[in-house]
Amino acid sequence: MEETLTAPAAPAPSKEPARSGRTESEKALRKKRRVAITRPWTLLAPSLVVLAGLLLWPLIQVGKLSLQSYEVKFGGGVGTWTGFDNYRALLSQDEFWKYVVANTVFFAVACVVLTIVLGTLVALLLNRLGTVWRLICGSAIMAAWAMPAVTGTQVWVWIFAPEDGIAPKLAGSLGLIDPATTNWFTERLPFYAIATLNVVHHGFPFVAITVLAGLVTIPKELYEAGMIDGANAWQRFWKITVPAIRPVFMVVGILSTIWDFKVFTQIFMMPGADSQEEMLNIGTYSYLKAFAADDYGTGAASAVILTLILLIITLVYIRTLFKQGEEDL
Amino acid sequence: MNRSTRASRIGLPVAVIALLAFTLFPVYWMVSTGLDPRANSRGADLLPSGLTFEHFSYAFKEGNFDQYLWNSLLVGLGTILVSGLLALLAAVAVARFKFRFRTSMLVMVLIVQMVPMEALVIPLFLQMRDYGLLNSLLGLTIVYIGVSLPFGIWTLRGFVATVPKEVEEAAYVDGCGWGQMFWRVLLPLVAPGLVATSVFAFITAWNEFVFAYTFMKDGEKYTAAVGIFQFAGQNTTAWGPIMAASTLVTLPVLIFFIIIQRRLASGLAAGAVKG
Repeated sequence: MEETLTAPAAPAPSKEPARSGRTESEKALRKKRRVAITRPWTLLAPSLVVLAGLLLWPLIQVGKLSLQSYEVKFGGGVGTWTGFDNYRALLSQDEFWKYVVANTVFFAVACVVLTIVLGTLVALLLNRLGTVWRLICGSAIMAAWAMPAVTGTQVWVWIFAPEDGIAPKLAGSLGLIDPATTNWFTERLPFYAIATLNVVHHGFPFVAITVLAGLVTIPKELYEAGMIDGANAWQRFWKITVPAIRPVFMVVGILSTIWDFKVFTQIFMMPGADSQEEMLNIGTYSYLKAFAADDYGTGAASAVILTLILLIITLVYIRTLFKQGEEDL
Repeated sequence: MNRSTRASRIGLPVAVIALLAFTLFPVYWMVSTGLDPRANSRGADLLPSGLTFEHFSYAFKEGNFDQYLWNSLLVGLGTILVSGLLALLAAVAVARFKFRFRTSMLVMVLIVQMVPMEALVIPLFLQMRDYGLLNSLLGLTIVYIGVSLPFGIWTLRGFVATVPKEVEEAAYVDGCGWGQMFWRVLLPLVAPGLVATSVFAFITAWNEFVFAYTFMKDGEKYTAAVGIFQFAGQNTTAWGPIMAASTLVTLPVLIFFIIIQRRLASGLAAGAVKG
């Protein structure tokens, strides 16, 4: 980086007397140093303004709002400071723990575990395929990944739609359920099972492709040595593959945790998500409190709780990146 | 040895078929329902009962979907124009200069990338309401610029770092100033990265739901992602048009992902790419 900045040095004018030449070059040097200090900040300034105005300032506002009782008035709102009342009310609420917290945590754990297991299995599979089949399977995985959350959710809802969907039709013809009376969107477990399927289907391609990128870096000799020692496939996976690409699993696991904690669209778009209390997760709870119940204070408080949880996980993630030294920060 | 090869001879094709079925079924079910003249009553029939474009034309005529797609396009283009330029400048700063707080800047970019939309939507809604920017494509574009910027800076920084410094130095030796070097040398070299980052920013805006749903209460201003949901709300059982509209939203994203799949495979572990 230093060389870049010293490179455009203006050569000292040779015709000038020696003395003034030195002051000239001193001046040029000073100017160059000033540029070296100010230029990165000039380049960063527009982005910093945007990030401060659209991400940092709103975060401060949501923190402020969570400590207020906010009333919507004509042509603007009025906030009254209430200290930690919103948090106290929220955390002492039975429904908040029984539904919101339980749904969010169990859903996130299920999604992360299933995403990583499936993603790893698919990566191992891709690693064994020839070029052509790897390309075909890779394209299919891309299709699952590319599906926007909005349209993907609509498709899963259609697949499981009461009476008409293919899943209840098939289950009905096998005699498992009575399609006319079964609605999977009104019970908590099937509701979240469908949401999990949706999120895992959308999330495992990232894991598969990242783990595959790690797998190809493991030297073949390690596996040959393992086979000579009589290790079976299961042992080779746990004793060779996992330790070799542990950092990849760390990153993939943390990122999936962050993403699966804040799932919103996939839940919110499901039928009954906004009218059934027991289906709420922390994202939909916060949103519906603020925009459907006009209780901005409580909505903001639960949004702050979610943000703090994600912040802690993010800090763990950044520490992992630093430790790995992969990111030349 | 023998046992494992036989197992893999049967196991591999089975696994490949299962994988293809699981990944592609939703896409297939979406497109085929969109084309099925009797979409709602197809039940468990794997093949559509016929092929028709009536659901697509219904989405355009009755559903106002051409307007929604146009809105999404405008918002997406506005987003990538501004956020692409800002991200490029910032990426050059963090990749090419050493300065105080540089690491803190990068950590901050990583952190703000993780902030959940649900936490931002409440304050930004109130802010935009005060500025009278609700129900406006401009207000939505401004929000998307902020949302897509951290990822843009993070990715472009990698692309800028791969341009050898010697190329820049050669430009200086040839008498270029910094500005000339930037436009004539650096910009063409990071152009592929800029395109990739911009497409991702475009997809972010194209797919985004929470802000568009909250800000746009006027039917004329819906983006395509919200347009589908409105559709579903009005008429819960009209799966043909819903799947046709979903196909229209999905296809551009799908095509792009398949084109870039090889590039994606390399160097993804560091970035955070997800819809």
